Amino acid sequence: MAGWLARMALVCGLMVSAIAGVAHAQKQGGVLRVTHRDNPPSASIHEEATISTDMPFMAVFNNLVIFDPDSEQNRPDRILPDLATSWHLSDGDRKLTFQLRDGVRWHDGKPFSSADVKCTWDMVTGRMDGKMRKNPRKSWWFNVKDVTTNGAREVTFHLNEPQPSLLVMLAGGFSPVYPCHVPGNLMRTHPIGTGPFKFAEFKQNESIKLVRNPDYWKPGKPYLEGIEYTIIPSRATAMLALVSGKFDLTLTGELSSENAKEIQAQVPQMQCIVQPSNTQGNLLVNRDKPPFDDPRLRRALGLAIDRKAFSEILSRGLNKIGGAMLAPPEGLWGWSPEFMETVPGYGGDVEKSREEGRKIMRELGYGPDKMMPLKVTTRNVASYRDSSVILIDHLKSVYIQGELEVLDSSVWYARLLRKDYAVGMNVQGTGIDDPDVQFFENYTCGSERNYTAYCNPELEKLYRQQSMMTDFEARRKVVWEIDRKLQEDGARPVIYQSQGATCWWPHVKGLKLAVNSIYNHWRFDDVWLDR
Amino acid sequence: MLTYIIRRLLLMVVTLFGVSVVIFLLLRIVPGNIADILFDSAGLIDPAEKAKIVADLGLDLPLPQQYAQWIGGLFRGDLGFSYVSEKPVLDEIAPRIPITARLAALALFFSIVAGVPLGVISAVRQNSGLDYGLRVLSLSGLSMPSFWLGLLILMFCVHFFGTIPIYDRAPETFWAWFAMLAIPAAAVGFRSSALIMRLTRSSMLEVLGQDFVRTARSKGLSEANVTYNHALRNAVLPVITTIGIETAFLFGGLIVTETVFNIPGVARFLVEAIRWRDYPMVQNLVLFIAIIVVTVNLIVDLIYMVVDPRIRYSE
Amino acid sequence: MSTTVSTDGPITPSAMSDLWYMIRRYPLGVAGAIIMSLFVLAAIFADYLAPLDPFSTNARASLARPNDVYLMGADMMGRDVFSRLIHGARISLAVALGATLIGSGVGAAVGLACGYIGGWFDLIVQRVTEVMQALPLLVMALVITASLGPSLRNTIIAIAIPLIPTVARVIRSNVLSLREMPYVEAAKATGMSEFRIAVIHVMPNTLAPLIVLATAQLGSTILTEASLSFLGLGVPEPYPSWGRMLSESAAEYVRTAPWLVIFPGLVISLVVFGSNLLGDALRDALDPRQRG
Repeated sequence: MAGWLARMALVCGLMVSAIAGVAHAQKQGGVLRVTHRDNPPSASIHEEATISTDMPFMAVFNNLVIFDPDSEQNRPDRILPDLATSWHLSDGDRKLTFQLRDGVRWHDGKPFSSADVKCTWDMVTGRMDGKMRKNPRKSWWFNVKDVTTNGAREVTFHLNEPQPSLLVMLAGGFSPVYPCHVPGNLMRTHPIGTGPFKFAEFKQNESIKLVRNPDYWKPGKPYLEGIEYTIIPSRATAMLALVSGKFDLTLTGELSSENAKEIQAQVPQMQCIVQPSNTQGNLLVNRDKPPFDDPRLRRALGLAIDRKAFSEILSRGLNKIGGAMLAPPEGLWGWSPEFMETVPGYGGDVEKSREEGRKIMRELGYGPDKMMPLKVTTRNVASYRDSSVILIDHLKSVYIQGELEVLDSSVWYARLLRKDYAVGMNVQGTGIDDPDVQFFENYTCGSERNYTAYCNPELEKLYRQQSMMTDFEARRKVVWEIDRKLQEDGARPVIYQSQGATCWWPHVKGLKLAVNSIYNHWRFDDVWLDR
Repeated sequence: MLTYIIRRLLLMVVTLFGVSVVIFLLLRIVPGNIADILFDSAGLIDPAEKAKIVADLGLDLPLPQQYAQWIGGLFRGDLGFSYVSEKPVLDEIAPRIPITARLAALALFFSIVAGVPLGVISAVRQNSGLDYGLRVLSLSGLSMPSFWLGLLILMFCVHFFGTIPIYDRAPETFWAWFAMLAIPAAAVGFRSSALIMRLTRSSMLEVLGQDFVRTARSKGLSEANVTYNHALRNAVLPVITTIGIETAFLFGGLIVTETVFNIPGVARFLVEAIRWRDYPMVQNLVLFIAIIVVTVNLIVDLIYMVVDPRIRYSE
Repeated sequence: MSTTVSTDGPITPSAMSDLWYMIRRYPLGVAGAIIMSLFVLAAIFADYLAPLDPFSTNARASLARPNDVYLMGADMMGRDVFSRLIHGARISLAVALGATLIGSGVGAAVGLACGYIGGWFDLIVQRVTEVMQALPLLVMALVITASLGPSLRNTIIAIAIPLIPTVARVIRSNVLSLREMPYVEAAKATGMSEFRIAVIHVMPNTLAPLIVLATAQLGSTILTEASLSFLGLGVPEPYPSWGRMLSESAAEYVRTAPWLVIFPGLVISLVVFGSNLLGDALRDALDPRQRG
């Protein structure tokens, strides 16, 4: 009798757990181990513009709103509440008001309120001084006039002009809400947030450790006990360590497609995704300084470039070709292939372009026996150097004899600022696939990231015009035209849009990446380990 | 002897003072400083923000004042704050020293254990095939870049054992440490062992040719007895010197090996600190290294003096 | 490298004379000399020896296996490894010769001056060399390249400077002992000026230990350059430096393209090996007291 009862209990138990298994397959616990490529310059996301800071520390924070993780593409129409529960526009779309979540606490126990939101954006718009050592994305918030609170649970962004992209910028990984009461140096070394994981430890050049926040406002989450990043500067060593099972996941976008192939050759079950890494290789041409004040020479330079060869060499043809905006289908705003054909230098026939380039150069008095000497300046960073080597090789086709000048990172930006270069090879990323972010960060007059100080009043008008447009299709048309004009002008000729790979073992579940940004999906509150 | 030690200690202070000045100036003739590097990660330079950082860190002060601040702090036991981590330098360096010390000690241990006996064998069997083989082996040890050796070992391990000895967390037991560090230590120590072997061999040969060894032989002592009791004891002196020289060289090997095997010791940390223009870190680390090198040299000389009273120290 | 090189002993003419004698007496040294000659020839005639342009990229040859065209395969950018190795000999030779010549030249001058002038000058220079010797070579070179920035010239300087004190010390003690030699005393007695004595009598006799020392340093300069380049601080692209070829980007393809790791490593080892063999033999021949 007792035996029968026990058997029944067992069967029932199995059934219950089977049902539960369908509903709650996620397992609690375990520490996710991630490889990291370098020492993050600091833990303060608002002060940095690198994935090295963004990926490990995004899980410490929350945003007001966030890109829907279930949407493969970051899109303006797929944005979900995070610390904000709802939002609405008023005053002719010039006021964006958020209702904030109740009962959220910072990791140090203090309650979260609207004052923290105001504080954060007063800080990044530059209206409040003293908390940050540097402010790389000040240009994003050019349109924010003021931020006001109405009680502890409501906050309003006042805009100069309507700007649909504002919500998109708020949803990105680079826009966390900071606590008002924590001083700046602590945010750089021991950040406090409201997110699913608490900061535990940051050992320089060694490791970053996060632990589960048991009081996270999303009930039952996160699943992981903690996340540990180990800094392994050598990519070769990091790959070996991943393959040997010491790590579960790699720093996103850090591997090349070749690396991913090699890893999968060794461990066939490894999950690897190759996708745009939001970085592009472009040329900085000093248009104020002879000889490149001559537009003909700039044009010849542009005609020498074989974008396909760059893509083939750097990524086995996976790198995308496009303008300033990320090419479709991953990118929302890039040229359609048909449109791209009409942009000079993007047509398929490289030999024809180069012949044209040589013709220009002959007119300028150069030829196979009289090559034009040129110093190509770049940073002492592998991706920069590799691209420069290819560039110099291509320049030979239009009678330009390039010589590479490699600068230490410490000198590079200072030289750019002084305009002390002729042609620079530059690699740079943008956090969000959005025209406002791209144009106002990199191409508008007076922005600090506009290295070549390209300033075109006609385009300035168009930047603002598209920024206010709510109709997606119409706005995209304007964006395409702007992008074409930028490439025609040689403002900063875009050579390729990089692809990067991310690999993880199949026991890592719930990881959701977006195809058009590597910066926005590292909250880790849905991730669990099936070990 | 006491006056000799005092004199040496005084000279040591002079040397270290010189090192501090050299490294201090060398760092500051560098174009670009920590402010430039900090902006590097942000992809821009804002001149106003940069000026503020420079002023905050005191980098706009006159050089003598900056130097006085550093050295004054040293005497109070205050090494300053890292520019990058904004934590006290001591807190950053201290936990890394034992890791590098263990690695270096193990490497030195390996190199002595392998180098001395092979050197003796090579000397005893001078001009035999074995001698030639060992000499070529030791020369090749001196010829291989240690990071290449490290890479080859890593590949080998992954290929045959499916795993690699890379540091991902601090081991807890002695044997765990040993297992973690043995392979990197062998990679660094290979070069040193080759050097020690060569030196043991040549000093053994010199001693074997000397009178007292011939006397010992003529007295009918066995060859083994002669080799080990008479010759080796005397040949060990130059080996001690090599160990002194090797401390400095070992460090070079440690830098690349810690990089290849991702060991979070001081050597790799120094490279990172140089890259970041983290002056307080670099200055103190380099001074620390100099203290080690100078102290080891002093100890070696003292051992020499104790072991071999024939040497006079009047200069 | 160990630099416990002794100081006296002029060049014996007989050691230079008979090639056959040399081969029998110093088989390893001759092997070293052959390796080094090949290395120097490759550097000089790189333009004729290299089958392909070492700078030319080619998308279709990216990571090509060794074959008829690419004898040792191609790197990620489709550049021919064999041609790059041959041209890399130039860089290595430039670094090795440049750094050794500057280091030994300056070191010898300083050593001579110290030995001759003596007094306060000597004392101060002695302290300075002690300061420099308190820092490991690679650490010094690292800080100096970081200060000067990455370029071929700066790499040479960075490697040369740490060599100076070693050479200076050896030459100094050599000069001090030479000054006591009877023929120098005799020259003094005839009223010859100190400067002429230094140039005519002392300098030629410091040459032997200097050559031995310089040869011994050749290998370590090549290794230091390789280490610096490996750490990303040495000779920059597009120069086909061996150390750079062996750096990070090569190591990543160790499974799909092991030739990128194996060949440059082998070539570095071989050349350093050759210079060590040659250095040993020269030491034996020119500086018999150190013979082992």
